[in-house]
Formats: sequence, C-alpha cells, structure tokens
Amino acid sequence: MTTYVLKKKLEVDNLNLKHSFVSFITILIIVGIGVFCFNLQNFWSQEKYLVTIAVSKTPLSTPFYVAQSINSFDETCVRVKYFDVMGGQIAFEKVMNGKVDFGTSSDSVIAFQSLTQQSFVTHAMFVQSDNDVKLITRSSDNIKSTLGLKGKKVGVIKGTASEYLLSTLLAIEGLKMGDVELYHYKPEQLIQGFSRNEVDAIVPWEPFVFKASQLLGSKIKIHDTKSLSTLSFNLISQTAGGELVDRELVEKAKCVIQGLHTAINYIASHPQESKKIVIDELNLDPAFIDWVWPDYIFKLGLNQSLILNVRSQAVWAVETQMREFKDVPNSERFVDSRALLQVEPGAVNLPL
Amino acid sequence: MKLSLQRQIYFFTISSCALFVVLVISLLWSTQVIDTALKREVYAHKVEDHTHILKLFIISENIYASNYNTVNWLILDNKFNELLRLAPGLTPQQQTIQNSIESQNKNVLRLFNAINKNKLKNANEIIKKHLKIRLMTQLEAIRSDSIQLSNIVKKDIKNVIRNQIIFILSILLLVISILVYGAFRLSKIFRTSLEEVKSAFEKNHSGDFQKIELSNQSQEFNSIASAFNAMNKKLSETTVSLESMKKTVAERTHVLEQLSNTDYLTKVANRRALFERGSAEFSRVQRSQSQLAVILLDCDFFKNVNDQFGHLFGDDILINVCKVCTEEIRKIDFFARYGGEEFIIILPDSDLNGAVETAKRIQHSLANNSIAFEGKDVCMTVSIGICTANDKHTNFEQLIKDADIAMYKAKANGRNRIEVIGGHISH
Repeated sequence: MTTYVLKKKLEVDNLNLKHSFVSFITILIIVGIGVFCFNLQNFWSQEKYLVTIAVSKTPLSTPFYVAQSINSFDETCVRVKYFDVMGGQIAFEKVMNGKVDFGTSSDSVIAFQSLTQQSFVTHAMFVQSDNDVKLITRSSDNIKSTLGLKGKKVGVIKGTASEYLLSTLLAIEGLKMGDVELYHYKPEQLIQGFSRNEVDAIVPWEPFVFKASQLLGSKIKIHDTKSLSTLSFNLISQTAGGELVDRELVEKAKCVIQGLHTAINYIASHPQESKKIVIDELNLDPAFIDWVWPDYIFKLGLNQSLILNVRSQAVWAVETQMREFKDVPNSERFVDSRALLQVEPGAVNLPL
Repeated sequence: MKLSLQRQIYFFTISSCALFVVLVISLLWSTQVIDTALKREVYAHKVEDHTHILKLFIISENIYASNYNTVNWLILDNKFNELLRLAPGLTPQQQTIQNSIESQNKNVLRLFNAINKNKLKNANEIIKKHLKIRLMTQLEAIRSDSIQLSNIVKKDIKNVIRNQIIFILSILLLVISILVYGAFRLSKIFRTSLEEVKSAFEKNHSGDFQKIELSNQSQEFNSIASAFNAMNKKLSETTVSLESMKKTVAERTHVLEQLSNTDYLTKVANRRALFERGSAEFSRVQRSQSQLAVILLDCDFFKNVNDQFGHLFGDDILINVCKVCTEEIRKIDFFARYGGEEFIIILPDSDLNGAVETAKRIQHSLANNSIAFEGKDVCMTVSIGICTANDKHTNFEQLIKDADIAMYKAKANGRNRIEVIGGHISH
C-alpha cells in the first residue's frame, strides 16, 4: 500500500515537474513572440522620409560624411541626400529657398541671418572649432598684429565667421571695420584674389587656409587667432509652416540627429577611420586633416552658450554697424530643442 | 557519449556554479563601473561649480579696471586646470566633452590674457563689453559641457544598472533552466530506468527471461542491466520454464486420469468411472425429474469358457462383448466394466422400453458376432437385468442393486434373456 502511494506521489510529482517545465518553456516562447512582434511592428511602422541636406564642403561636416559611410541613417526614419555647397551661408540660402530640408551653417551665419530672416531654427550643434577661421597676410608686409591692417585691403566672406573674426580682431586693437578696405569674396575665390594682389590680407576658413599655405608657402603669414573666435556648425531648417508640418519636421530632424549621434560616437571611438572617410570624401591631403583635426570637437549640443554666442555676434554686428539693423531679435527663438531632446536629452542645456 | 549519472550531476553542479561565478564577477564589475561613473559625475559637478566661481569672479569685478588684480583669477584658473588634468578615465564620448571643456578653458585663458595684455586701451566700450560677454559665453560653454558630461554619466549609470539587471536576470533564467532541465532529465532517467529494471524483475519472477532494454542510457543503470542480462541468460539456459512445466503436468494428469478411469483389459470405463458418471447422472435425474435406465449384463457360463478355452480367450471374449456393446449403444449412453464378466450401461433420458431395445440389440449383435477358437465359433450370450430410476432409489448404488436383482432373475429364468425391475415392458 505504502509503495503504491509513494509510486503515485512520484508520478504526480513528475507530472507537476513536467507541467512546470512545459509552462516555463511556453512562457519563454510567448515572451519571445511578443518581443518579435513588437519589433516587427516597429519595423513596419517606420516609414522612411526622404530628406535633403545642404552640407557645407568642409571637414567640419565630418559627422555627415561618417554617417553616410557607416550607414548610420539606415536605422532611422530618413533616407538622406546631400547637396555639397561651399560654405554655410549657401547652405542657409538653400534651406530658406526651400531647395533642401536641412543645412549646415556656422553660428556666425545664424547670427547674421537672424537679423533679417525670422523663419529658421537650429536643431543641434554638431561640431565646434576654435581655430577654423584665420587671418592671412603677406610675409613681405611684415604685419605683426591686427593694428598693421589699418588702411589695408582685406578680403572676407560676407555675413560669415570670416567677417566676424576680422571685426573682433580689429576691435581688440581699437580699430573699426571702416578702418580697413573690405572686399567680399566667395570662399573658394579668396586665395585667388589674394594671389592676384587684389587684397593685402584675407580671412579664410579651412581648408582654404591649408591650401594657401601649400600654394604660397613662406610668402604668407598665418596669424595665430586660435581661441579668439569659436566656430560651431549647426543643423538648421526652416521653421515649421509652409510645406513642412511641425510634427513631421521634428520627426525628420530627430532622425537626422540620430544618424549624426551614431556617427559622432563612431568618430570618438574610431578617429583614424573617421579621418580616412573625410579624406576620401573631400579628396583632401591627409596632412591637412592632421593639421585641423586637433582643433575640432565633434559633439551634439544645444546649450546656453550657443544662444549667447549667436546673440553676442548679432549684437556685435549691429553695434559695429556691420549691418544696418537696430534690433537684435531674441536669439532663443532660433533654437528648437525638441528633436535633440528625443535623441540625447543630456546634450540640451537651455534656460527654461 | 554516455555520461555517468554521477558525472552528469557533477556537470550540472559545476555549470551552475560557473554561472553563479559569472554573476558575481559581473556584479563586482558593475560595482566598479558604477564607482567609476560616480567619480566622473563628481568630477563633472566639480567642473560645473568651478566654472560658476570663475563666472562670478568675472561678473563681480571690473576686469578692465587698471587696478584689477589678475593674480587671484589666474590662481583660480590654475586650480581649474589642475582639476581638468586630474580628470578620471573617460569613455570616448565623454572624452570628447572633456576635450571641449579643455579647449574652451584655453580659449577663456587666451581671451582673458588678450583682455589684460594692455587692458584694451585702444578699444572702445562696445568691444570691451563684447569680449567680456565672449568670456562669459566661453565659461557658460564649459558649464554646459560639464552638465552634458554629468548627464552622459548619469545615463551611463542608468544603462549599466539596466544592463546589469538584464544580465543578472538572463543568467538566473539560464541557471534555473539548466537546473530544471537537469532535475527533469535526471529524475526521468532514474524513474524510467528503475521502472524498466523493476518490470524486468517482475517478468523474471513469472519465468519470462527477457533482457533489460534501457530507454535512457546511463553508465550506472547500464552496468546493472548488463549484470542482470548476463544472469538472465544463464537462468534461461538452465531453468525449465514454468509454462512448459504446467503443460507437461496437465498432459500427464490427463493421461493419469484416463488411466485411472479405464479398464486395463477392455479399454472401456472401469468401475471407478462408472460410479462417478452414474452418481452424476443420478443427481441430474433427481434435479430434473428426467428418466434414467441402467442395464446390467453378465456373460453366461464365462467360467466354463475360461476353463475350456483358457483365460486369454476369455479375455478376448470380454473384449468382443465390449466392442459389441459399445457399437450398439447411443452416443449419450455410458458403458463400463462393472467387474469380472459383468458390464453396466447407463442410459440417460431413456425409459424402460428404450433400455430393453438396446439390450435386445446387444443380444442380437452378440449372436451374430461370435469369435472363433481354433476354427470353431464360440458364441457368448449374456443375461441382462434392467431397471429404471424411481422415487425409491436414493442413490446410484440402489439402482445397480435393482439391476443386479433383475440380472439374477434372468440367470434364474434360464440365461440369455432380459429381465426388468420397476416397470413393465410394453410390447
């Protein structure tokens, strides 16, 4: 009798064990299917927007080139198409003309444009450099400081960091923009103008500084202006409205920033590979990248300093009468943090 | 590969232990990671605080005043440099922010030096104000960076904790799965193997020597099975199975039963069989009120035949009488040797007339079936007594007794005739 009871108990125990095991496996399978379905739903629900971006043809746009090279937009909601442009100002114009959805522009361009244009926003800063724009004079002129520029002909790129740096350098020495003779050039034409002796000094940005040094060698003097101006490159677009629905704009910006975020992390962990991507993309001399790379800081951000920077440059432009405007608009209105907040909330540091 | 149960248990235990060790190591590792992350967070906060102090310094004092003492500010900035130099190890992403902070700090210092080089004596108020704002903006940039660093670190801590929880849960799930699977498998091996061994023993008990075929292989049970199979093989070779023994016994018993119920000489039923059948038939008659007749035959002058022709011929005569009787009775009738030269026929469901008819057929057949002795036919006659069962009879023996009386009456009335008791012959 006892043996029978024990046997029965053993059978029941085994049955229970079997049931528990089967239940366990079933739960695992259900959870697995759930996760799979969830991901599948995500996969199907993600429609891809075609986004056009005017990318300034400079190593500052490295995150964009890296993003394309490592296919970091593949996992976002956008398919991107780049339009190479010379300088952030042209990129800005393309954005405002509605020819592209997004563009890359420096804070100086944003500052100057904020005085006239009202309908654009900055979604994120993705790079900064404190040594991108430089002052070049002839060695033969023996100009030691900015003071020596008085009365000289200076070539700048209108409405950009180039113009801003010159004005700052002059002001530090107590000079005004009126004290020099200004010549406006397109970025790629500066060196040409300088070589033809049309001007005595130029204020180009990279890679034209490097090109000038290669072309003219010891004939030129590159002044040390490091840290006197910081330049940042930003992702801009028109404000929502017109053809762009607000929600769609933020969604697109979010996805572009997601791709940039991946690319920027890649740059941080794979600097050599990233350099090679830019060299190949822009057909640059590796020596040039080695020359500028230490000055570049690739990081996503949207912070108070950007607003202050834009504002101070705008105020500067107004106060030095570089532009014929009296009012400096509230710079905060040109910042839209919604997209970046979704990608990397920690990078957003704006006053409430 | 067949692993012994012991090894399997060892294996499960060791793998579970190994997974627990992995768990502990990962916990220690994550503690380390969180500790580093906390250091980074503290660092980020220090940077933020320090930047704030530097900003306050710039705001509170007129940096363009001729008596402005730059030493204090430079000491402060040196301290800040020291703080940046002693930054804890950072991830590439954090290092980017750190690089930004360092770069911004250089800009701050450079701007500060530019401002203080000659107090911008040639510059107007606008540029002074602008550069002061630039200085503030740079410091603000550092502060923003330190906040961003702090946020990244916080996110890292969250990620580490989340990953750790996922990792620990996965390992626990794995350990539990292995343990459940192990327990299930071992118990299955034990249960099925024991059942199979037990069933083999039970079959053995009933003489069915079969091999143990284990459905789950394990070294321990395999050795038991092979030892058992070897033993079984020997047993099956030397032991007659119980089934065949039973069969033999049944056959022998049948033969013995036949022998005990058969007359040795005539091969018809003997006296023992007669009484057994007779009692059964009598009982049936009593139950069913049916009819039953008994014929008793006695060979006439049989002693003379023995004396004249010898016992062997006498035996032949008896055998011939038996042959004739057996041929003349119905299938349901029972013929037996009662003793010596006396025979009895039990006729179930037969009345007196039926019995007389049978007796007459026998008399007639005997007359026609004489046997020869040395060329001379010897005819054997029989005196027949018949009786039918009635209420006076209480057992079969009484019925025989009445038949015997009738037979003696036939002897007395001249032999080779039929006499009846308990009824009248209808003609």
